[in-house]
Amino acid sequence: MGKNIIFMRAGGCAISLHCFKINIIMSLFKTFTRFLFLTLILFVISKNVVFADGGFPVRPGRLLIAPSVSYFFSSTQWDSTGIKKPFPNGGKYSSVGVTLYAEYGISRRFAAIASVPYVYNNYMQNIAPRNTVTSGLTDMETGIRYYLANIDFVYYFSLQGTAVTPLYTNNASLGYGEEGAELKLAFSGTGSLFNRSTYFNAADGVRQYFGTNGPIQNRYSGTFGMTLDDDFKNQLSVSLSGINSFSDDKRFISGIPETNRNYSFIEASLSYGYSFSHEIALYATGGKFLTGNNTSDGTIFSLAFIYRLDYR
Amino acid sequence: MVSVLNKVLTVFCVLLLVTDTKHVFAQGGDKEGEISAVLTPHSSDGIFSSTASYTFELKNGSGTPQTGKVSYLVTTEAGKKVKTDSVHVKIGARSSESYNFDIPITKPGFYKVNFMVNVSDYDDTTRKAFGIKPEEIRSQYAKPADFETFWQNTRKELDNTPPEFKMTELVDSNKKNHKVYLIEMKSLGGLTVRGYLTEPVVKNKNRKFVVLLGLPGYQVTLGPMMGSDPEIAMFTLNIRGSGNSKDVIDVRRDSYILLNIEDKNKYVLRGAIMDCIRAVDFIYSRPELKHENIIVAGGSLGGYLTVALASLDKRINFCSAANPILSDVRNLEHEVDWPIDDIHKYVNTRPGLTMDKVYSTLDYFDAKNFATDLKCPTLVGLGLVDHIAPPNHVYVLYNNITQAQKHMIIFRDLGHEIGKKYNIYEGRWMRDQFALF
Repeated sequence: MGKNIIFMRAGGCAISLHCFKINIIMSLFKTFTRFLFLTLILFVISKNVVFADGGFPVRPGRLLIAPSVSYFFSSTQWDSTGIKKPFPNGGKYSSVGVTLYAEYGISRRFAAIASVPYVYNNYMQNIAPRNTVTSGLTDMETGIRYYLANIDFVYYFSLQGTAVTPLYTNNASLGYGEEGAELKLAFSGTGSLFNRSTYFNAADGVRQYFGTNGPIQNRYSGTFGMTLDDDFKNQLSVSLSGINSFSDDKRFISGIPETNRNYSFIEASLSYGYSFSHEIALYATGGKFLTGNNTSDGTIFSLAFIYRLDYR
Repeated sequence: MVSVLNKVLTVFCVLLLVTDTKHVFAQGGDKEGEISAVLTPHSSDGIFSSTASYTFELKNGSGTPQTGKVSYLVTTEAGKKVKTDSVHVKIGARSSESYNFDIPITKPGFYKVNFMVNVSDYDDTTRKAFGIKPEEIRSQYAKPADFETFWQNTRKELDNTPPEFKMTELVDSNKKNHKVYLIEMKSLGGLTVRGYLTEPVVKNKNRKFVVLLGLPGYQVTLGPMMGSDPEIAMFTLNIRGSGNSKDVIDVRRDSYILLNIEDKNKYVLRGAIMDCIRAVDFIYSRPELKHENIIVAGGSLGGYLTVALASLDKRINFCSAANPILSDVRNLEHEVDWPIDDIHKYVNTRPGLTMDKVYSTLDYFDAKNFATDLKCPTLVGLGLVDHIAPPNHVYVLYNNITQAQKHMIIFRDLGHEIGKKYNIYEGRWMRDQFALF
């Protein structure tokens, strides 16, 4: 973290023969907060955009609202042995998603988060039915994040509990239709590289869906980001994320992501963020599946608008 | 005769110059042809649990082998010899040798250590200091039984003084993003003290600011201070007798700390500490300032005032004291020149006044005695070679903080100052404490 704002200097003093100089500089290290203020750790996992301040605590009274739109498409898939092949019958899958994410700092330790996604899915193939469209709200996520601890006010740990609530019924292309719960531990920190401020976030969560053969999943992500200028206006981040989903139901149901219950994948994404002001920022993200098992091989692009407001 | 004398003097001066030049070169580094020494403590902050250990590296860049000895002398802060040892050394031409020194010390405390090298063409001394189990350092002198009562009564006296706050915008001093105000208020004894408040200019008129109360070093004049942080207002206070608060007390720099030292009820620091409390009264009178987010910070006398204020006034939420002076005062004898020498001179000019009587006053103003009642998070910084706020004295203060979250940052090679690391930590901790994420 390169910059600190020095705002006070109490000058020297001399005492007759016992001359000494006091040079106390009081400063508040501002970069840390400023960085977080303009930074949202953002990555994609499967076909969803995921927001997280990760291990960093949320300022009490701060409301963050982040609507985003994403486009996911895929025409190949990995089978249960990890062999990649095209969708049968020239199938092509695309999905446009709109997600509204909100986060609010309740107190120094607690923050509330909520996420409501809507998707419009389209599966095309060269046999009937040639075009299948499904749309609707998918799994809403609501949770509480707890600021666990820090190391020297540089590295932060948080624990987040999330409830997963399906906002649909009997529509396998939108999700399992089962309630779920997730517990996630996140670790974040700041640093510097090449005279630029950097940050990282590593998180691992275990999610359990409560239903017949409801999978238990390990969801993980790692993000590294850096600012591109001294004004914290431009930033770039790379992420690696993935899911290992385990279920007794090991069938390959379709190439539509997350309709299968026993699958795994690793995905990489690159994000560019631009801050228009302290309150408003825009993020563009592109992501690609790297490897998988029993799931589709997809690509995603997303655009997220960030609005932050302090109520206290 | 004069001519001969001139020649002799000239030769002498040239010799002196050459000798001096050689010495400077000797200390200059490891350039070819030079001899140099590097002492490396095996602890980043100079603190050891039981054995202080160092590596002394001697580099001989000259073409002549060097023989002689490397020795060390450990003394207490007061200069009492504790331990000494030496090794014979022989360094070949254009080579270097390293010598490890382990210095076992059982008694907790801080020690000075001088490493001397005396070889064929080079003599040098490197001065360092180290600490042994500093967390166990305590003072043998207790707090006066009526310490709290004394300060409660003083506080009552202040409370009976109407503050008559006056806040005047200094339009000419305003900056683009800050407004500057001159603050005037009545303090203990009816004295007027002044300070400057700077507030960020923000769009949201209901915005409340975290407050940093900055307290001055010894006879330091504080002016308005402003930064680029839109969340923090800064109040810099000039205590009585300092800066623009010299209406009544305006004494020579040396005399300030001696003013009425014979009477604890009239001693200048009694009023100065109340001035600081009055400043908090002012902060509480302002609706635009966050009353639950007040950080007080200062260095040297400012560090001392910071500890005293945070101890006596529980409205302070975070305390940052760098190189706080006047801790464990009775033990300062033989350890520091200032202010002890000045106090001795003063006592010698006052019939009937004794050092013991002065210490009886200073017991009520000893930073270590304030520390026991600190309850807010407290950051303390010290320099290991500080000759005004010696580390063992600062540690007595620090160890007396038993009721608050605390952190000490030690600067191994600094004197009466702190480094950037302290400032960074202070800002980060304060922001975490006040949830300014």
